[in-house]
Amino acid sequence: MLSAVNLRKVYITKEKQGIFRTWKKEVIAVESLDLEIKPGEIVGLLGINGAGKTTTIKMLSTLLLPTAGSIVIDGIDALKEPMKVKKMVNMIAGGERMLYWRLTARENLSYFGSLYGLNGKALTDRIAFLLKEVELEEAADIPVERYSKGMKQRLQIARGLINDPCYLFLDEPTLGLDAPIAKHLREYIRHLAVQEGKGILLTSHYLSEVEALCNRVYIIDRGALVLHDTPENIIRDVSAGAILSVWVSELQNTMLESLTKVLLPFEASLTVIKQSDGVELRVQSKQDVTALVLQHLFEHGVTLQRLEVEKPKLEDAILTLAGRAVAARETA
Amino acid sequence: MISLWRVFWSEMKKSHRLNFHSKLIYFSLLVWPAITYASAYYSLQPFNLGAHSPLNRFFSSEKIGVFLLTGYLGYIFFWSLVQSAWQMSFERYSGTIELIFLSPVSRLGMIYGRAAADLLEGVWLFSTFTLLAVASVKGINAVGWWSIPLGLVILVVSAVIWGGFLNVIFLFSRDSSFLYTVLDEPMLIFSGVRIPVAAMPLWGKAIAFVFPLTYVLQIIRELVMEGMGFRQILPSLGVLFAVLILLFLLTGRLAILAERHALKTGNLTLF
Repeated sequence: MLSAVNLRKVYITKEKQGIFRTWKKEVIAVESLDLEIKPGEIVGLLGINGAGKTTTIKMLSTLLLPTAGSIVIDGIDALKEPMKVKKMVNMIAGGERMLYWRLTARENLSYFGSLYGLNGKALTDRIAFLLKEVELEEAADIPVERYSKGMKQRLQIARGLINDPCYLFLDEPTLGLDAPIAKHLREYIRHLAVQEGKGILLTSHYLSEVEALCNRVYIIDRGALVLHDTPENIIRDVSAGAILSVWVSELQNTMLESLTKVLLPFEASLTVIKQSDGVELRVQSKQDVTALVLQHLFEHGVTLQRLEVEKPKLEDAILTLAGRAVAARETA
Repeated sequence: MISLWRVFWSEMKKSHRLNFHSKLIYFSLLVWPAITYASAYYSLQPFNLGAHSPLNRFFSSEKIGVFLLTGYLGYIFFWSLVQSAWQMSFERYSGTIELIFLSPVSRLGMIYGRAAADLLEGVWLFSTFTLLAVASVKGINAVGWWSIPLGLVILVVSAVIWGGFLNVIFLFSRDSSFLYTVLDEPMLIFSGVRIPVAAMPLWGKAIAFVFPLTYVLQIIRELVMEGMGFRQILPSLGVLFAVLILLFLLTGRLAILAERHALKTGNLTLF
């Protein structure tokens, strides 16, 4: 298991004041962050830009030294024995950097494999296996500069897996990819966790991706942990709930009053919107009240024209949290 | 730490594939040194090079050709490594330097492997310049054929150690390219490439002794201009050896400090 306790990272930056004068400024990138990743689990790390996601990933992958706190990976202290930990982790970032464009996929993998001590048949076999996994076998000997964005990203994945890491840090892995390629990559990420038992930390601006893939999500704002739970619980606790919209031809006031009473225990909000061809009833509630509302309407002989249920998404929860954070800062 | 030699070899292969992707590069590499050599040689011709020439105090005027040839040969070897270190900026930009430091690879193996890769061109240059010297330049005075490969070994080893030092400097900051200006031209002027170090004023000599190229050129000239044997060059070889050891130790220390600095500031991704 990867366990980070009380992580803190403070950068010292130099600010210019006039032509010759500079003064040092402390910037807190991460503050008192506790984080765990178990083998076979995909953990999301979310936050608005500048929240400290990339800094956290770099600390976990030994590229940055925390100002305070500890990181232990499968019993090894990452701060005391970084060379041992480096063999167990790897990082994949989105975009087209982090590859040698003039080299072929095979040459790239051969070079990066050698950095982990792989050589001879073990290296050749590992390269062949990974090229097959990311479906780049046919393009293996073409320089990377001739690859499409999706091919480069697949090669990035193969590069990140070259040392068969136990823990993988994915920083925006589907950034800028076409929908079908991104979907394929998401399936592969799930395969790595479920089938191969790798612990994965994922940051992404595509919140539907995080919602679909992650077992647990950490939400950070300005480096500090705001919330940590499963995506389902976060959605349930933070968002205002599902929206049930029912379109009917006409609505009597008595039926509306009785429906309001029925919904009272569920803390649901009921809105009536008059449309040109009828009335729209909009009910928002943290609990699913669809069956209750429909039963009530049928009992009163109301004829339904249309029905829609809009379930809340992780994105709604994040937007709510971001709004709260901004409000809290403004109040402070 | 991963086997030093294996890393050294992988780094060499990669850097070579990246930098020498076209056969034309090998020919273009030869054109520039040939032009600079010719330029230096012919710019001396209008001056008094006879028995009363100031240069005659340091070596016979008929040896100007071989003096400049050895000087430029050594300079090109060292110069190519300043260029190679400069390419570290590109690795920052592409993000690959961060991936190297993400791995448990031997940092020194990586640093010296890069330097060695860029010297593959040196072998080509050395062979061509040697042929040129034997065929057209007067004043060669070597005690045996072995002087040539010995000179090559001294040149390659010294240049790789110098290259490793430069690479490590470029690990510190993206702004290290000022070193190119600070090291390149002074190395050309003060290391005895065009003018003997002995002919320089005291302050010039002090600067000369900073550059390992000064010691390398002295040994090569002892071998091919003054006809010294192995035993006779031992004192100069000893001084060079001491300088290289110092440079190697300094490189190792700086590599540790550079990584520590990067761990603290995260500056490996700044470009």
